[in-house]
Amino acid sequence: MAGMKTASGDYIDSSWELRVFVGEEDPEAESVTLRVTGESHVGGVLLKIVEKINRKQDWSDHAIWWEQKRQWLLQTHWTLDKYGILADARLFFGPQHRPVILRLPNRRALRLRASFSQPLFQAVAAICRLLSIRHPEELSLLRAPEKKEKKKKEKELEEEVYDLSKVVLAGGVAPALFRGMPAHFSDSAQTEACYHMLSRPQPPPDPLLLQRLPRPSSLSDKTQLHSRWLDSSRCLMQQGVKAGDVLWLRFKYYSFFDLDPKTDPVRLTQLYEQARWDLLLEEIDCTEEEMMVFAALQYHISKLSQSGEVGEPAGTDPGLDDLDAALSNLEVKLEGSAPTDVLDSLTTIPELKDHLRIFRIPQRPRKLTLKGYRQHWVVFKETTLSYYKNQDEAPGDPIQQLNLKGCEVVPDVNVSGQKFCIKLLVPSPEGMSEIYLRCQDEQQYAHWMAGCRLASKGRTMADSSYTSEVQAILAFLSLQRTGGGGPGNHPQGPDASTEGLNPYGLVAPRFQRKFKAKQLTPRILEAHQNVAQLSLAEAQLRFIQAWQSLPDFGISYVMVRFKGSRKDEILGIANNRLIRIDLAVGDVVKTWRFSNMRQWNVNWDIRQVAIEFDEHINVAFSCVSASCRIVHEYIGGYIFLSTRERARGEELDEDLFLQLTGGHEAF
Amino acid sequence: MGESSEDIDQMFSTLLGEMDLLTQSLGVDTLPPPEPKPPRAEFNYSVGFKDLNESLNALEDQDLDALMADLVADISEAEQRTIQAQKQSSQNQHHSASLQASNFSSAAPLGYGTNAAAIGISQYKEDLPPPPADPVLDLPLPPPPPDPLSQEEKEAQAKADKIKLALEKLKEAKVKKLVIKVHMNDNSTKSLMVDERQLARDVLDNLFEKTHCDCNVNWCLYEIYPELQIERFFEDHENVVEVLSDWTRDTENKVLFLEKEEKYAVFKNPQNFYLDNRGKKESKETSEKMNAKNKESLLEESFCGTSVIVPELEGALYLKEDGKKSWKRRYFLLRASGIYYVPKGKTKTSRDLACFIQFENVNIYYGTQHKMKYKAPTDYCFVLKHPQIQKESQYIKYLCCDDARTLNQWVTGIRIAKYGKTLYDNYQRAMAKAGLASRWTNVGTVSAAAPAQPAQSTGPKTGTSQPNGQMPQAAHSVSAVLQEAQTRAETWKDKKPALGNHHQPGTPRAPQAPKSSLPPPPPVRRSSDSSGSPATTPKAKGTAGGGFLSPPIDFLPPPPPPPPMDDPELPPPPPDFMEPPPDFVPPPPPSCAGTAGSELPPPPPPPPVLDPDSARPPPAVAKRPPMPPKRHENPAPPGGAGGGEQDFMSDLMKALQKKRGNVS
Repeated sequence: MAGMKTASGDYIDSSWELRVFVGEEDPEAESVTLRVTGESHVGGVLLKIVEKINRKQDWSDHAIWWEQKRQWLLQTHWTLDKYGILADARLFFGPQHRPVILRLPNRRALRLRASFSQPLFQAVAAICRLLSIRHPEELSLLRAPEKKEKKKKEKELEEEVYDLSKVVLAGGVAPALFRGMPAHFSDSAQTEACYHMLSRPQPPPDPLLLQRLPRPSSLSDKTQLHSRWLDSSRCLMQQGVKAGDVLWLRFKYYSFFDLDPKTDPVRLTQLYEQARWDLLLEEIDCTEEEMMVFAALQYHISKLSQSGEVGEPAGTDPGLDDLDAALSNLEVKLEGSAPTDVLDSLTTIPELKDHLRIFRIPQRPRKLTLKGYRQHWVVFKETTLSYYKNQDEAPGDPIQQLNLKGCEVVPDVNVSGQKFCIKLLVPSPEGMSEIYLRCQDEQQYAHWMAGCRLASKGRTMADSSYTSEVQAILAFLSLQRTGGGGPGNHPQGPDASTEGLNPYGLVAPRFQRKFKAKQLTPRILEAHQNVAQLSLAEAQLRFIQAWQSLPDFGISYVMVRFKGSRKDEILGIANNRLIRIDLAVGDVVKTWRFSNMRQWNVNWDIRQVAIEFDEHINVAFSCVSASCRIVHEYIGGYIFLSTRERARGEELDEDLFLQLTGGHEAF
Repeated sequence: MGESSEDIDQMFSTLLGEMDLLTQSLGVDTLPPPEPKPPRAEFNYSVGFKDLNESLNALEDQDLDALMADLVADISEAEQRTIQAQKQSSQNQHHSASLQASNFSSAAPLGYGTNAAAIGISQYKEDLPPPPADPVLDLPLPPPPPDPLSQEEKEAQAKADKIKLALEKLKEAKVKKLVIKVHMNDNSTKSLMVDERQLARDVLDNLFEKTHCDCNVNWCLYEIYPELQIERFFEDHENVVEVLSDWTRDTENKVLFLEKEEKYAVFKNPQNFYLDNRGKKESKETSEKMNAKNKESLLEESFCGTSVIVPELEGALYLKEDGKKSWKRRYFLLRASGIYYVPKGKTKTSRDLACFIQFENVNIYYGTQHKMKYKAPTDYCFVLKHPQIQKESQYIKYLCCDDARTLNQWVTGIRIAKYGKTLYDNYQRAMAKAGLASRWTNVGTVSAAAPAQPAQSTGPKTGTSQPNGQMPQAAHSVSAVLQEAQTRAETWKDKKPALGNHHQPGTPRAPQAPKSSLPPPPPVRRSSDSSGSPATTPKAKGTAGGGFLSPPIDFLPPPPPPPPMDDPELPPPPPDFMEPPPDFVPPPPPSCAGTAGSELPPPPPPPPVLDPDSARPPPAVAKRPPMPPKRHENPAPPGGAGGGEQDFMSDLMKALQKKRGNVS
């Protein structure tokens, strides 16, 4: 059609030449020149380009990118005129999906192909589908922070970049499970490894690395991160992202819908990782006691994850008490062998008897009672601990008898100093009895300690978990022997599964400064006893719950200046409220809840957000640390998330999301 | 036929033998079997005495009487089971034995009663089950199983099933029971038996039935420590026996049954706890205006997420210094992980906080009149202590707030931090109960059978009223309640044809986790019996006055509602037995449950209904004439009575019946 010529070679129709570069935005890319008219459809142009290139290749993913307007020409039925394209337009004929390197919440790098032409919201949804993370609306992408190149060069570890760029997902349907993982991961050993990376928690980081990584020292530091969020309603290309760029994938909205350990292994793991790093890098503060629980959970999780016990609860069923155990034992045995043996073993509840040194702290602290440890003959039966002056008096009345049910058991151990003490805080009607048992060696300690722990929960040593408890204690002691020397102290233990418990890898650096490793280890051990029976998924969930219970959880900070105020302040955005925070002191000045919000408006010209709440409360502020688009998107996003309902499942009302979070293109 | 039934006999006796061994191995007290009941009862009593709680010792006569009713019910149940077992295992032998046993059953309650009265105990622990188990064992053993192992696989399977049932039964056998005296708000007291599996919720339900109060959610069990001047309400999920066993023998502590607004205040007005702006006047006013929808969403947000949100709470409180009567003002913060304070010269950022206490091992109590007792700055005090501590001790923490509002916020906040979502689940169960009760009373007064419909219609409604974010657990428990209600309802609906049904609702529950939140079967039955209608109270009094000769009454489901269903059940067995016994030796009871039941005209049913005293005799008389069934007649009632509880024997019978079906 276009390109009719006279005999002299002049064109007589209204056609003109259009130059299209082939490939991604590369000025030296090959180009083809077409003859088109204003009425040419984009689809026709695409066809011509492919003809001109004359190369056998799958072009289906290719589309035209208009550089000056920063726009994809995706409407193939539109004419060039309708797009307003003239001969001077710089057009690139390139793939819509391009490789990027994603930095996952677990800090591992993953190469995959992301859509550069769809709005980011859809692109993230596609990525999440590939990674099998449900509820992609909770995640988004950030630009990687600019690196300070000089320093990092020295020890830039050649890290493994997992690659999923070859994997193609069948559109639409949710990927089926195959061999315990979504089918598209089971193609090759490589992708399988990738799935393991995604779905299993990573080992604790090197404490040295932890100390080197930047940590926010103030509230205003915490606002930095949030300036890097990409815009959900525009595509990556429009936001200047190039193929091969590094982007961070993170949970952006702290409102995790329907978290289910069974269906969400990747989501749960990545969420756990994000929470863990938040804590380790002091993005969120917690108290010492809370940190110990987090550390214990991390230790437990990494142990389970390394030993490959992913699916089922660890070892024993915690609910099985001695009677239950006995009965189910019996149940099994009755079928076969003579029942008498079984019954014999059932009748005897194991007991511990030994010489231990005991130090008792009297209830009313009197002076001059520091007699120190004394040797006693101690008998531990059921949940009761009795001690006698010596073994001969054992059948008689004990000096003291303590029922350990409900007591507090605190380890007081120093492996290098060969000190193995158990501190018992035994409640009684009159108060607490404090008593120390000093064991001679690890074996003795592990058995008595396990007994005490079970007894404190009202169980006896006949309980099915007794042996595993003993093993766990021994394992932990061995860790203390090999690990806890200090930062950078590499464990030499041959035991691979317990390798590398360095307590410094489990706590935020400020605790590293505050405590010595040998102080930390027993405290983590103490906290660990409460979580030792959890399965991997349960432990991760517990970790996430504890994280969510922190008062500062889920608050994204932005620096703003309120209308009428002369100083910068912090606006905290949480899933249910906005918080005005004093920049210097960190005190909460005022809280507004979304449920009382009438409307919010953004004036894009003066970069001001104005919000109206019930009872004619009006708030307006301009954004300092991040663009007001980010604040706007946060508010709209949370409101969108609050509209989710279980009934709708994973269906997403994308239009609503874009309506709530977009809208600034008009200006 | 005959052969197979013999097999079953063998199996059964092997099973029983094994149970016996097991019982012994588990350290349950087993007494020489020959003299089953009375001595054992005594023995158990004396065992129980060790743990007796003297404050409860002073039970009045009428309490004892009421208790006797419960006790007797249990004992006779046990007896019945024994007898039934005997009948099954050795139909033709041991006639005399079973007769003897039944004699005991009537004698036992008497002895029991007098014992109790004489000693004046209020509390005891008893291993009820052993009694049933042992006698059973001894009797069946005589025809010793010649060759249990020679049985076929099919039978082995059946055997395994039965063993499972037996094991279930054995688990129940270890149940500890306690008699508690509950003080009502009209200064009267009620004594009731609580078994160790019962939660505060179950006890409340029981009390609702006994008192005919309005069942609203504010009712609670309340423990008071006069010595320490502290008090608190039981949370509905708490195990009552466990809590009470922390009390000392000579304690003055009391359990009250009263209404406390504070118990679930947070769910009625969450905004007062979650949106309170440091007690500013204006915010208080605005927050009280919050509409229901917003409240609901606030609750959902706070309690139905992945983790429960603990109200943000901080402020200066007074802390009593250890061992002194001086109080120091400190700035405290509540977090999910515990209470923290700001050390001197530090800020209140997380990193600087020092832990004051964590909640795992402490309960929270209100302090009363501590201004007087400890020179507290105000009377708005709360106390944290390990539940086992009963006397003054440095391990008890005393805190004092400026005003009542703050006190409530702290106490509620701590409860939320300590119990988490359980609290919300409790509330929903309480609401379901209250809703059910109000409907029940509305219709229930009209006729006894009426409750059936309300119960069913309430079912779905309460179910759907739960928010979406509801935890599965809660849904489960609520639905369990409803299920129970429905079960009852069903029982009503098909009174007569439902002979089999009546068993079924009970049986499926048997395999359930023993720790289920449901009230353990036997108590339930008892309570439902005594509950249903206003008729109960007068009746109970009658029993009390009437002395001990009437005990059996009580174990027969007494008041208007139950009898209609029970009676039809009672009769059927005998007729059935009459024919079959000659043919096949073991089976009778099962057949009554299924086949025979429906055809049989409910013979001597309605008349005895209203008069408890007469209720008992008639069936007995009616059934006596047929000679062979004679000893079944006693067993039969348990079948009926046992319907409410999952009766092991009836399960067994069912299995037997099934088996018989296979063979024939």
